[in-house]
Amino acid sequence: MAQAGTIALAGRAPEPASGRLAQAGTVALLAGVGLLILPPLLYLASSAVQAGTLGALSIGSLAGLALTTLALAGLATIWAMALALPMAWLVVRTDMPFRNACRWLAVIPLAIPSYIGAMAYIALLGPVGSVNTWLSALTGSHQLWMNIYGFWGGVFVLGLFTYPYIFLLVSAALEATNPSVEETARSLGESPLGVLRRVTLPMLRPSILAGGLLAFLYALSDFGSLSLLRVQVFTTAIYHQLNTRFDQAAAAMLSFVLVLITLAVLLSQRALMSRRSYVTITGTARVARPLPLGRWRWPATALAGGILSLSVFIPLGVLLAQTGSLEQFTDVLREQWAFIRNSLALAGAAATLAMIIGFLIAFSAKRAKGPVGAALLGTIQVGYAIPGTVLGLSLILLYNTYLPWLYGTVGVLVLAYLIRFLTQAVQGIDAALAGINPHLEEAARSLAASPGTVLRRILAPLVRPTLFAVWTLVFISAMKELDATLLLRPAGFDTLPVRVYIHTVEAEYAKAGALALILIAFTALPWLVVTRLREKKLV
Amino acid sequence: MQKLQALIYASLIAAALLGPDGAWLPLPAEAASDRLVIYSGRKEKAIKPVADAFAKQTGITVDLKTGKTSGLANEIRMEKAHPRGDLFISTEGGIMEVLAKEGLLDPYQSAATKAVPDDFKSATGAWTGISGRARVILYNKNLVPEKDVPRSVLELADPKWKGRLAIAGTRERTSLAWVAALVAVKGEAFARDYLTRLETNGLKILTDNTEVLQGVGRGEFTIGLTNSPNYYLAKKMGLPVGVVYPDQDAGGLGTPINPNAAAVMKGATNPEAARKFIDFLLSPEGQRILVGQDYEIPLIPEADPGEVLPVKSIKRPAVGAQRLAELEEPTLKLLTAINPNW
Repeated sequence: MAQAGTIALAGRAPEPASGRLAQAGTVALLAGVGLLILPPLLYLASSAVQAGTLGALSIGSLAGLALTTLALAGLATIWAMALALPMAWLVVRTDMPFRNACRWLAVIPLAIPSYIGAMAYIALLGPVGSVNTWLSALTGSHQLWMNIYGFWGGVFVLGLFTYPYIFLLVSAALEATNPSVEETARSLGESPLGVLRRVTLPMLRPSILAGGLLAFLYALSDFGSLSLLRVQVFTTAIYHQLNTRFDQAAAAMLSFVLVLITLAVLLSQRALMSRRSYVTITGTARVARPLPLGRWRWPATALAGGILSLSVFIPLGVLLAQTGSLEQFTDVLREQWAFIRNSLALAGAAATLAMIIGFLIAFSAKRAKGPVGAALLGTIQVGYAIPGTVLGLSLILLYNTYLPWLYGTVGVLVLAYLIRFLTQAVQGIDAALAGINPHLEEAARSLAASPGTVLRRILAPLVRPTLFAVWTLVFISAMKELDATLLLRPAGFDTLPVRVYIHTVEAEYAKAGALALILIAFTALPWLVVTRLREKKLV
Repeated sequence: MQKLQALIYASLIAAALLGPDGAWLPLPAEAASDRLVIYSGRKEKAIKPVADAFAKQTGITVDLKTGKTSGLANEIRMEKAHPRGDLFISTEGGIMEVLAKEGLLDPYQSAATKAVPDDFKSATGAWTGISGRARVILYNKNLVPEKDVPRSVLELADPKWKGRLAIAGTRERTSLAWVAALVAVKGEAFARDYLTRLETNGLKILTDNTEVLQGVGRGEFTIGLTNSPNYYLAKKMGLPVGVVYPDQDAGGLGTPINPNAAAVMKGATNPEAARKFIDFLLSPEGQRILVGQDYEIPLIPEADPGEVLPVKSIKRPAVGAQRLAELEEPTLKLLTAINPNW
């Protein structure tokens, strides 16, 4: 059988045609992004250096913390991949029953903030959760059957609510890759599993790595669910130093170490990505003929159903039970409509800006060879690694001191969201651009098409599914953001996660449940709309 | 297709830019004399009704920023260059002393603040208590009969409570204040020994007092150390809990009452409104709304305590707020040396 590498071309980016203009644009972008992301980082670094100490922490406890954090993020990512890859392959490439329903349901967990997912699972699997209570009543023995608290609970919950990052990118890439490569392999006598292993998976590598990276970084910087699940990791330790000891220096030191760890992760991912690359020769995004599953139809459906139960149906069921009544919904909707609008406007603005800027950045970075492009992408990725609480505090200091007219407005929230989530847009678009053969562009250029025309007529249409996917990703992340929003929101300007947080802290669980469901519904909405439009071939 | 796409983008961008009420960029510099910005570490459901009543009476718009006391205090410190709030409401006095020492509070004394007992306010007028919570033992009635519940916190070190105890860590400042009071009264050596014994007794350190309330209410723990309002809240939620005000015997330690406190921020845009709000909080009407919402103990002797025990019937250790504040840092060191989770 033919190796995928001989069918697809391993290509290098072409020389920029209108070099000087493109170069200037790239430099301007780099400067803008640098000004956005580097000041909080430099502030962190300088506080860490000034502190020069770990405060109450020892080197030993720091190493332990690093080990726990990395192990947790790594295992959560593997768990997320184990959920995402079969799901993506089943819904895109096979004739599994209900595959269209599964396709949009599989993204819903992304709309469930991990702290809300953790809350739901604590109510279910906590030491006094429903499951333990039922089992004790059933058997008459009061032993502890299940305990979600701790390290494995953290892995379980984070994987469940981050797998859609991988699913979204991989399923978009599966659609964008030319199915004829796989069909050829199959016609040459390769078994379906062989096609998967030797053709499909290698072609999906950039998307899997990009999605896995997002899940991994999410787990590294997550605070909400891990503090609820009582796991000791970097973020919870930072929070503790900051909020009980008022030790900004120790917190900065911890944050800085966390950022360094993230940098190491990013560099190793970059090395992994650069080892091999595949591009599709033709630009067609023809839909593949679904693979008949035969007698595996129903086992496959059961697998997909199981994944969706754990990540969607069970948490939503718990929240519904917690809310209790329909009146609760209507009351909350009436009472808190303004906050819902705040969230929608804010997340919409952040997602739109991230999509536009992200496209420009990914495009420039691909064209700018060498260190400039790498610096551009690297800088943006690091923004994602700054924990929300720390980012919030450094932005307060920086913006309130140097840009007081901006601080205290909603604009500072948009900037914080861009710093945290721009990388989601850039990563996704970058992966999609990586799958486009530069010869397509060269051909257009040789026919005297301007760079703008190439961008508009060739690249944009080819990455359009990805553009919608990344808009949705950033929108979803921004809708859920809590840590930085708590700090940076102007007084009187609450968002939905802030409301859920306040009601949870104040033990108003019915209200918290209703608002959490509303948050999930509004977060999932754009995804459903986009999917619908795509099914009707409208976008 | 292109048109539809453009339409979607345009409407999204328009929605984003118009924003809530078309006020995408509210200019903070224009904060007028009719807008009061409150940073509140107190629960929204306790403060908002008072704020609403105040707004109705004075015509001043109140914007609330609700959060954790310690988080907001950090924020106030970082906003020093351009303060954004007018009034800070905290769940504990010690943190106010920290802010006062850093020159972030604007002292205010009035007839209303004079009525607050001295141990619930700053000696210099930097802040004043507005209501209080007593430290109590909360227990699950299904797991322990009332007669077996300890009458003193010192009994909790008894091995028979091993693995059955919970408390919120020091991110709830009232936990820190409780230990600091113990250090003040009994000395550091005694406190260290007592806390070490609690540690070997498996005292579980939770994130916040709500977790203590829930954990005891659901039976995860038999006994929790928490604040008096949590008992009333748990009871209202139908949880099987009882309460003991510990160490009330003659010659006993007494149990600390932690004040919720209010202070005008230095450099506030609207200090006048903030001062008015403090007086309103301490007025009979303000106290009635504040205390009634969340089962707090009124600090003004003539205010009606409603369901809760009045301040004069609770024996408390004689430790001033300033002394407590001084002890907080060494107490924190003592605690984290015993268990970093504190």
